[in-house]
Amino acid sequence: MKSLRKMSLLLLMMTMLLAACGDSGSNKSSDASKKSEKIKLSIWHNFAGDDLRAKTVRGLIEKFAEEHPEVELDAQAIPPDGYRQRLSTVAAGNELPDLFFVYAGSHSAELYRAGLLQPITEVVDQHPEWKDKFLTGAFDPYTFETDEIYSAPIGMSATSILYYNTALFEQYNVKVPTTWDEMMTAIQVFNDNNITPIALGNKAPWVAQSTILGSLADRVTGTEWFKNAAAQNGAKFTDPEFIEALGYFKQLVDHKAFQEGANSIDNTQAEQYFIQGNAAMMISGAWSLTNLAASASEEQMKVVDVTVLPAIPGGKGEANTISGGAGGGLALSKRTEGPAKEAALELIYAVSGPEAQKAIAESNSMVMYDTDIDESKVSSLYYKAFNLVKKTNITPVYDAYLSAEAAEVINNGLQEIMAGGSIENVAKKLQDAQARSVTP
Amino acid sequence: MELRTTRTTDMAVDSSGRKLMVKGLAVLGKSILLGYAVLTLYPLYWLFISAFKTNEDFFKNPYSLPRVWRIENITRAWELGNMGRAMLNSTFVTLAAVVLTLILGILAGYVLSRFEFRFKKTAVALFLAGLLIPIHSTLVPLFLMMKEMHLLNTYGALILPYTAFELPLAVFLAMGYMASIPKEIEEAAMIDGSGWWGIFGRVIFPLCTPIIATISILAFLRFWNDFSFALVFINSQALKTLPLSLSLFSDGFGTDYSLTMGAMAIAVIPTIVVYLILQDQIMKGMVAGSIKG
Amino acid sequence: MPTALRSKSFIALALLPALLLFVVFVIVPIFWSAYYGLFEWKGIGASKFIGAGNYREILQDPIFWRALRNNLILVISAIIGQIPIALLLALVLVKNSFFSRFIRSAVFMPMVLSTVVVGLIWGYIYHPQFGLVNTILEAVGLESWTRAWLSVPHVNIFAITIPINWSNIGPYMLIFIAALQNISPEIYDAAHIDGAYGRKRLFYVTLPMIWSTVIVTMVLCISGSLKAFDHVMVMTQGGPAQSTELLATYMYNNTFRVYRYGYGSAVSTIIMIISALLIGINYVLTRRKAG
Repeated sequence: MKSLRKMSLLLLMMTMLLAACGDSGSNKSSDASKKSEKIKLSIWHNFAGDDLRAKTVRGLIEKFAEEHPEVELDAQAIPPDGYRQRLSTVAAGNELPDLFFVYAGSHSAELYRAGLLQPITEVVDQHPEWKDKFLTGAFDPYTFETDEIYSAPIGMSATSILYYNTALFEQYNVKVPTTWDEMMTAIQVFNDNNITPIALGNKAPWVAQSTILGSLADRVTGTEWFKNAAAQNGAKFTDPEFIEALGYFKQLVDHKAFQEGANSIDNTQAEQYFIQGNAAMMISGAWSLTNLAASASEEQMKVVDVTVLPAIPGGKGEANTISGGAGGGLALSKRTEGPAKEAALELIYAVSGPEAQKAIAESNSMVMYDTDIDESKVSSLYYKAFNLVKKTNITPVYDAYLSAEAAEVINNGLQEIMAGGSIENVAKKLQDAQARSVTP
Repeated sequence: MELRTTRTTDMAVDSSGRKLMVKGLAVLGKSILLGYAVLTLYPLYWLFISAFKTNEDFFKNPYSLPRVWRIENITRAWELGNMGRAMLNSTFVTLAAVVLTLILGILAGYVLSRFEFRFKKTAVALFLAGLLIPIHSTLVPLFLMMKEMHLLNTYGALILPYTAFELPLAVFLAMGYMASIPKEIEEAAMIDGSGWWGIFGRVIFPLCTPIIATISILAFLRFWNDFSFALVFINSQALKTLPLSLSLFSDGFGTDYSLTMGAMAIAVIPTIVVYLILQDQIMKGMVAGSIKG
Repeated sequence: MPTALRSKSFIALALLPALLLFVVFVIVPIFWSAYYGLFEWKGIGASKFIGAGNYREILQDPIFWRALRNNLILVISAIIGQIPIALLLALVLVKNSFFSRFIRSAVFMPMVLSTVVVGLIWGYIYHPQFGLVNTILEAVGLESWTRAWLSVPHVNIFAITIPINWSNIGPYMLIFIAALQNISPEIYDAAHIDGAYGRKRLFYVTLPMIWSTVIVTMVLCISGSLKAFDHVMVMTQGGPAQSTELLATYMYNNTFRVYRYGYGSAVSTIIMIISALLIGINYVLTRRKAG
């Protein structure tokens, strides 16, 4: 009998313990209505890491909190790997925070369609000088209705910069490619000398799509065609121009432009492979600037230069372009109102306003905003890239316009082509997926 | 008395003339085992040397010792990941869930292995179904449910689901183990006039030390390393557990390996300690128990 | 039976707390999720009832069948790769000498490591350019065998089974050692008198004594392999081109990457049904063997 008593005592304690922790959390919601001397504001973002950009954005949020003692700010940095999963689950329970970071493209579009967002147009209209300095197209991904803006981009994703190792180009006397033929020659020469022509880490399958296909295809098809195909409006992904674009990608694969096994190593590993001089080129986004700044030595960085992808003969698109677009931004929950909403809008301005844009640009990270940066504050490679992007035009990134499902299909499709799959097949699957999501 | 393995028995019956060969075989066997041990220990060693490297060093010389031992990786990861607090939370949540799993699991396993009653088959089938569940599909329902129960954002939001999801394994391991405890032991205790609680507490439970230790190790690892539940059910910074700190340094565009490795090196130490303590308990089976019985 | 009444209350008190907690936090969400499987739903926003539509689509998707095939490869490799080795190790290492304690701990260590570390180190072992496997193959003159182990379709899924088996042997070994502890020395003494030792003792005494545990580990192997997720997510993310897709990664991608929550829920329901079927088959097979 003694052990029975012990057992039930233990169980009882356990229950009480759990009940106790249950209580401590549940008073959160009732608190807000009781005494509202302080404005409660919650924000979720994924600037969690130790890189300069993340530290800068966190600093901006902290500064806002200091300057607004009347606001009780609950700011949470969520591991980027789980960010979407966290947000999706919580959105299903309608428990979103007041402000949250959203990605441009299908991520924010789905949240909008589910009726979870409200526009932030008023804060943008309050600061016209701010609004006007955003680059063309900065608000496009967040303009779900005419005249209503749902977020202001914190960064810019320039996804297709050609990084090259000047030392290797000099050593083998290769011209930095500006035309497709020169590209093919360069690939040939480097392969002959046992140097990987282009480093690629396509384990996360969006990489090849975002960094290579977008720019390449735009040069072949032109931007107009792509926007029509994405809208399934008079153009299809099975059209000859897109097949041709995929053909150029396949040419790279067939000429062994990428190192073997590119589909099983990640982006960071590919960057390192390149910076250590194993590969002559790398086609990657502006994020590589941030990553390399944190992990490469100044000597390694010195020999690297940046340019745009080479032109395609007879292409309908412009040559001097880089695929890119607005980066993620903060979105406002539909449920937030009153003083909390005002505070939230101020916080958006604090994190994406003119000063913030400058600070972010000076943290080796591109912005979708016209600002000048202090050369001494940034890495030399970033400064080169910053100026390169400034003078080129921006073309759309594929996954910012495709539905989530279609993006998944083309991502996997490029891996398939790299493993020897047929391009017509991939084009057809992409067409089917995009058609399904446009006309449900 | 020491348990003899098949190998020692083999040796006992061999004639003395073949002793040398047998000895040779034993050495060979030991070398194979040692070789295997090196294969399993190497990643741990690799984690600890990588934890002290710069990113550049990590990629340039993945297998060699750090050129400069950078203790900052550890301190920076500790600070940035708020790992002190996270460690406390993880410890509390994990221990509470392990204790709860043990009490509920062993008791249920005992009942299901020893008694015949009407709904026994249903109960067993239910627990069996629990083994088959991929956890990701339960995230949204669990989230909605715990929201209604006001459990979200409490330690309970982790302790209860952890326990519930580990119960099937605990119950089955306990059932399998108890099936080989001779019934005579209980009958003897029954004659002494003990009730079921007494039999369970004084006779069966002590005999279960090996399986209790096994369940504890497995449960501890699962809870300590869980990412999905901790990610979704916990909101407040003050309640976050360790796995969330470990994934802070990777953002989909790149990974800061030196900090990631530093954080992982910190997080793995408690699991090794717990394993080493509990491993000895696994060896305390029948040999100790049968004397009491 | 004078104890009948008392045992009834014991059964209820001992079983109900576990059952209650389990039903509320595991069984209810499963049915809930199976219910979502009947809807066209993105996880947020409006949902549309489509009956068995998701299920029909799943069964027609070649990727689903590929994922199932990959999972079955994992099941088979786990049953032949994990259980026998774990059992062998348990039999050899059941002594409490310093040597066996050391080896036992070593064998278990991959389990305490985060999957991310396991994935990283095996990524290096299989690395196409400076990986260990390719280096060794080149050193022994088998250049033609070198390849990008995790990239090449049909090869990569087998390459992945090795790290998975390697990590999972530890826990099964522990379970077997715990079971072996339960065999009382008297039984071995009696067996010895009856002339059962060596291999004979293993097959006629030891194995039958721990047979229930062997069955439990098989069930765990099957269910674990069908739920397998972490290692593949870390090593290949189910790619390239979905060649290493597993049921669980297929479900995860549909649920959280392409916002097809209803579809993902339907996949997880199917995963459960398949697991149940396999475990049923296993039950019938092992039962016959035991008898």
